[in-house]
Amino acid sequence: MFVYEKKLQYPVRIKNPNAALAKVIITQYGGPDGELGASLRYLSQRFEMPYPELKGILTDIGTEELGHLEMIGAIVHQLTRNLTIDQIKEAGFDTYFVDRTVGIYPQAASGTPWSAATMAVKGDPITDLMEDMAAEQKARTTYDNILRLSDDPDVNNVIRFLREREVVHFQRFGEAMRILTDKLNQKNFYAMNPAFDR
Amino acid sequence: MENNNPGNSNCSFRDGVLMQCAPLAMAYVPMQQASQPAYEADQALVRGTLFPGLDLPFMNVVNKGSFSGTPLGELMALDFVIKELNLYLDTHKNDTDAFQTLKATIALYKEGKDRYVKLYGPLQVMDLDAADSYTWLCDPWPWDYCDETED
Repeated sequence: MFVYEKKLQYPVRIKNPNAALAKVIITQYGGPDGELGASLRYLSQRFEMPYPELKGILTDIGTEELGHLEMIGAIVHQLTRNLTIDQIKEAGFDTYFVDRTVGIYPQAASGTPWSAATMAVKGDPITDLMEDMAAEQKARTTYDNILRLSDDPDVNNVIRFLREREVVHFQRFGEAMRILTDKLNQKNFYAMNPAFDR
Repeated sequence: MENNNPGNSNCSFRDGVLMQCAPLAMAYVPMQQASQPAYEADQALVRGTLFPGLDLPFMNVVNKGSFSGTPLGELMALDFVIKELNLYLDTHKNDTDAFQTLKATIALYKEGKDRYVKLYGPLQVMDLDAADSYTWLCDPWPWDYCDETED
């Protein structure tokens, strides 16, 4: 089960509203490489995992990603505080506003709603850990791109923190892959699927 | 784990351990050798990792500053160290040094949390056992904007 803790993992305090930036950062809430997909990917894949180290790392990183989802929501919420209709129109935020006002909706920057099609659960630990390593790199690139697009230091501090977490998670998934392959047939890792052929 | 043996390595803390021979058609990430060196809790939170060897910033721009001035900031920093050691130990379960550091950090966190909850209110519903009224609903909620000067 999950227990809510009434604090963020890292402080989010954004002084200046900026609807144009909010329109971009929402993509890490519900975009193809965002935190919603990350948490659901790991928290779903863990059920198939045959070894406790793999159950543990997917549970613990998946849980952390839920905290990151909350942080991205907090960023977008604070970036869209106290906006005037003129600011909304000038920033091009009107296309979001018309459907969501300033609510937080899981969508990509393009407006595409979040889709489970952006994540995978293949039921094979090698395949899924490889997907997870790729997912961390894709999220890292997205945060790199956000850092190129944003010049607000209040936002960028939080984005740099989240980006660094992707690097750490990549390392841990890579180590999880090592633990997994150590337990498989060294002559042929692909002789069977350890999540199915017990 | 046979591949996770820091004893046979002369590598720097920025490098990890790989096996000498490895089966083809597989991706290999080197195992982090040890939980040291490590940042102090506050700097770990600021930089986004406890481990200098994994600290690889974009365009080499790093976060500066400190959260240690605020009661919640200090708690967040300890919580973050616990999370980092939690993930590290998931893939290094036999590292007794890291486990001892985890236990010591959890003890510090519990002390800090008890103090925090008495002064500022609950972090979890379970913290309400000593409360005088239903303070769970008290502002601010974590996503609300708070000026730093209000802390």
